[in-house]
Amino acid sequence: MRCIAIGLLALAAGCATIAAAPPAAEAPAAAPVVVAPTPARPAQPAHEVAKPAPTPTLDVAALKERLRSTSACGVFTKLALKNQMDDLLQQFRARHQSADAGGVATLRQPYDMLVLKVLAVVQDGDPSLARMISGSREAIWGILADPVKFNALA
Amino acid sequence: MSTKAGAAALLFPLAMLVASAAPAAADPALLKDLTAVLILLAMPCGEVVSAKRQADNDHIATCKDGNRYRVFINAEGRASAQKL
Repeated sequence: MRCIAIGLLALAAGCATIAAAPPAAEAPAAAPVVVAPTPARPAQPAHEVAKPAPTPTLDVAALKERLRSTSACGVFTKLALKNQMDDLLQQFRARHQSADAGGVATLRQPYDMLVLKVLAVVQDGDPSLARMISGSREAIWGILADPVKFNALA
Repeated sequence: MSTKAGAAALLFPLAMLVASAAPAAADPALLKDLTAVLILLAMPCGEVVSAKRQADNDHIATCKDGNRYRVFINAEGRASAQKL
């Protein structure tokens, strides 16, 4: 009986710890909502968020060049990645040329899969390139998904 | 007798040369490259444990799971794998 009580207390204590965590996590989320009405304050966090952004980013051409020159993978791997990138670019081209501009969204999953493949291939041999690719994922998507930016690639 | 000894003296270094050339086919970088390309091409393999060069950019890869593939660059310039 005592054991059960101790067990329940421990469980309750564990739950209390878990339960205590969300308010702590919610607190920062709630804070901006309170601060939001003041225009000056949201501007400062925006600048603070923008400051860490200067991490080096890549565009598609730069990514291809870095992959071409890295020693993290061999000739066959590089060629297979290039083939798959070209295939994906071809799909983007087809979507942009068709009237259905919203169709690009369906390429997000193949794009993410390809980025993961590239990361898996280079992360051991060239961690800095892996970090750059990871940090550039959204920027590259932004280029690929925008018809104007995409056409400027060619 | 001396001819046999002479032949043996010639053959032994030759055999050593061939034996030392064999591990070059199992260059770890090549095995890693072949393993990675088979994964990218979604070929079941696990890991390439040995490779035999057929020609430039054309290898027979043997996988840990027993599968064998011809990995090569095809006429269209694509990295390809054919199950053997």
